[in-house]
Amino acid sequence: MENIASHEDWKSCFSEVAPGLLLFARQWVQSAADAEDIVQEAFVKFWRRNHKIANRPLLYAAVRSIALDVIRRDRRRARREASVFAEAEPAIDPQFELEDDTQSALAAAVDSLPHDQREVLVLKIWNELTFSEIARALDISQNTAASRYRYALASLRKSLQPQ
Amino acid sequence: MNDFSELENELRKLRPASPSPILPERVEEAMLENCRVFAAADARFMAKWRWRFIGAPHKLALGFGLAAAAVLLLLAQISREERGSAAKESAPVSSVMATRPTSANEFIPAGATQVVYNPRDEGLRFADGSQQPLRRLRYQTHQTWQWRNPTTGASLRVSYPSEEVVLVPVSGQ
Repeated sequence: MENIASHEDWKSCFSEVAPGLLLFARQWVQSAADAEDIVQEAFVKFWRRNHKIANRPLLYAAVRSIALDVIRRDRRRARREASVFAEAEPAIDPQFELEDDTQSALAAAVDSLPHDQREVLVLKIWNELTFSEIARALDISQNTAASRYRYALASLRKSLQPQ
Repeated sequence: MNDFSELENELRKLRPASPSPILPERVEEAMLENCRVFAAADARFMAKWRWRFIGAPHKLALGFGLAAAAVLLLLAQISREERGSAAKESAPVSSVMATRPTSANEFIPAGATQVVYNPRDEGLRFADGSQQPLRRLRYQTHQTWQWRNPTTGASLRVSYPSEEVVLVPVSGQ
């Protein structure tokens, strides 16, 4: 794989991963602007350290780490990651470009997922990471990543079923 | 996992919100800034090390020069003292010498110590053409010499490491 640092057209690389990265960052911050700040910082850090694009779990891990730092810094209250997740508020800016009511319902269902399931779903569906890569990005086991994904899909199906 | 394939397809149809058009520009700017910062840091690092490596011989030369000058001054002073002592036939190095009337610029020996900190027996040796064995002993020592000017009260002390090899004839064994 090519190295991002030596990639002459890093913009195409960035434009390819940016929407997924932004969506991933939006799991922690409410505004799209904050998410863009996080993605920018993570991508520059990733590029500066000369990582290969094959190591993209590191890129997502960087986004996650910076996002958590932002939350800790701004709110000045979260001491532990679990409490950060528990206190995370639902997003205000739309995370998806919605075309119809069905998609709106689906997006709302995704928003209502528990945080740990949602981040796995975001990495799997919209960033196309493998379970192995998700495990590395989130520092969890591969089995945990797979089971969280299955729970997420089961929850979505349940919430989308007609009452 | 196949049970969810339809749901997965529906999810994939959801398109994440696009980044703002200025984000790539911001990232590019940040990368360029980053490059400038690193280039400046590299330049500072290289300059520092270039000074260290290139400057080292000058500093060494200066150090050796100062050391050589100090040794020459010391030897000159000792030589002068020895000449003065020989003329006056006052050999012993003791505090008595400190009472001797001196000029304002004259330093007299005030003490000498030799600390042996590593004696080593290097075994028996035979000197050339000799049948008598000799035991070679090597001492590593630290010597200190002190001079004092009784008129002004100024003192000069020189310490240096030294090594001494002694051959002791072995007999009666």
